[in-house]
Amino acid sequence: MSRTSNGMRLLVEARNLQKRFRTYHAVRGVSFSCYAGEVFGLLGPNGAGKTTTIRMLTTILRPTSGTARVAGRDVVREAEEVRGSIGVLPENAGVYGRLTGREVIRYAGQLYGLAPDVLERRIVEIADALELTEHLDRLTDTFSKGMKQKINVARALIHDPPVVFLDEPTSGLDVISARSVRDFVLRFKAEGRCVILSTHMMEEAERLCDRVAIIAGGRIRAEGDLAALKAETGKDLEDIFMSMVEQSVVR
Amino acid sequence: MMRLAWSWVRGAGGNRTAQSRSHDTGAWIKAIYLKETLEAFRDRRSLLVMIVLPAFIMPVVTLGIPYLEQRQQHQISTTTPEVAIVGQAPNLVHLAYTSKLLTPVHTGDAAKALRERRVLAVLEIPPNFEQLVAREAQVHVGVLYDTSNPESVAARARVVDLISRYSQEVVARRLIVRHINPKDLLPVVMDTRNVATQRQLSGMLLASLLPFFIAMWAVVGGMSLAVDEAAGEKERGTLESLLLTPPSREAIVVGKFLSVLTASVGAVVVVVIAMVISLRWGYPYVLHTSQKLDVSLPVGTAGVMLAVAVLFAALMSGVQLSLSIYAKSPREANQFITPLYFLTVIPALAVPYITEWQQSTGTYVMPVLNSFFTFRELLLGTTNWGHLALAAVSSAFYAALAVESAIMLMSRESVIFRT
Repeated sequence: MSRTSNGMRLLVEARNLQKRFRTYHAVRGVSFSCYAGEVFGLLGPNGAGKTTTIRMLTTILRPTSGTARVAGRDVVREAEEVRGSIGVLPENAGVYGRLTGREVIRYAGQLYGLAPDVLERRIVEIADALELTEHLDRLTDTFSKGMKQKINVARALIHDPPVVFLDEPTSGLDVISARSVRDFVLRFKAEGRCVILSTHMMEEAERLCDRVAIIAGGRIRAEGDLAALKAETGKDLEDIFMSMVEQSVVR
Repeated sequence: MMRLAWSWVRGAGGNRTAQSRSHDTGAWIKAIYLKETLEAFRDRRSLLVMIVLPAFIMPVVTLGIPYLEQRQQHQISTTTPEVAIVGQAPNLVHLAYTSKLLTPVHTGDAAKALRERRVLAVLEIPPNFEQLVAREAQVHVGVLYDTSNPESVAARARVVDLISRYSQEVVARRLIVRHINPKDLLPVVMDTRNVATQRQLSGMLLASLLPFFIAMWAVVGGMSLAVDEAAGEKERGTLESLLLTPPSREAIVVGKFLSVLTASVGAVVVVVIAMVISLRWGYPYVLHTSQKLDVSLPVGTAGVMLAVAVLFAALMSGVQLSLSIYAKSPREANQFITPLYFLTVIPALAVPYITEWQQSTGTYVMPVLNSFFTFRELLLGTTNWGHLALAAVSSAFYAALAVESAIMLMSRESVIFRT
């Protein structure tokens, strides 16, 4: 796994990724890198190609062209190993309603191949961290949307992955639950994980991301350090975002 | 499926990485199977379809319909039907009363009375009927009846019987006048005996019922699980999370397939046990005609039938899972699977009427039909082991093909994200 000159571990590296669905060209050459201990924001309107990019990086979709490495593994040739190194919270992820919170998390841990004793210890730790302990043995059908999202976070992190992908993680959540999810993102960063966050909420991006890439029409229109982007353009993030999206429409 | 089997074979061959992978694959399949089965047991709808319906509804259907038929036959046979007699025939009417075959009724418009079901048949007597009979002429009488009414059909049979007895009496009188013994007209008398054993009769009864119910429950038993485990996961948004974990698509499909198969075979086993119990102990109690029928399913036959049923259920489970993976929603999955139910049940109903196919080897490699003909041979005690082997191997092949297609569909982006 390569490192930058300041010693940061490179965990996600996308090179000219493209994805075409029959006649629709969803992603048209996306390249970026993300390092350990960093939150990288993928910003863009609906249909910009954020989810397709994340799905390629998480091995669910096979790139039409281009390459990507996650945690040092190629997403096409070493897909299974990549999936073992990442935690993913897909957009609108559901939970198994007829299982308890503990059973959902345990199931995920079994699929990640954790040994039974390690798995039970991790369930206790993660439930404690997410304040889920007292609800663990209830059927998830009885949970609020925020609680279900916490279960999904626990499921995605049960194997302690170095890379986390969050696709619109606060979409549809109330203010309290959304704040709780944002706190987790900051915690992941503090724990040294590499976080790829897809969002169309500028306020959320400004609060959480170290660097961002603005995607529109399947292409990255701007990328870089948030402070540097603002200084360079003299605009706030929302204005930068809007001008990039408008430019992509004009083109 | 075939790729999965090959990876296990390689794992057993000594390669450490391959061994580790095959161990993982086994553990993944087990985890997915146990999770799906646990969810099914917590789903009242699945339990209702898997256990409650076959255990309670099937005996009611098996016994209830023959019981109602028997009751109707009993009513018809013990009731003296009212028949309108149009014309004069005092001796014939007298015989009708004394024989209690029918109750003669006089009515104005007899045909209208029959249409309105006030009488069950009409006997039309020509003028001078008894004088013509006395003059030894051949006389034609007319009978009107309504085939849409089973009681009218039974009344016609009574009228035919009455006319036959009246004719026999007339003939007997004529022969006696000519000093001829009426028995001389019957030089040969038949005495028939049924040589079928109780076992054979029991086998025939089971052969007429079991294949149909096995076909039905092999599909219905696993249907709700198949729909829930693929199309349902798509709709709930849990499928993507599952595909983001390390297990291969093969392991995911095989784990799900095994849980659908368990439900399907479970329903088949429950329905076979419930039917054998109800036929053995319920039939003699409910139906007077079958009091001496010893309905039983020998253990050896039951074991071989179970093996054939498992292979048949495997094919059904694989096809249902494939259709569910392809479907966009549970509603669409149900729409796809419903024709499968008819495609399975109709051949099961047809088998007793195409028994000439039983001798053809080709029949035992035809999907679905091969299992039904094998069940029939097993139940009738005419098992051909060559046919059985052919049916087992071909069914296993078709089931593997169905699972392979489910894996292929689960691996296609256009199917997984089909909206």
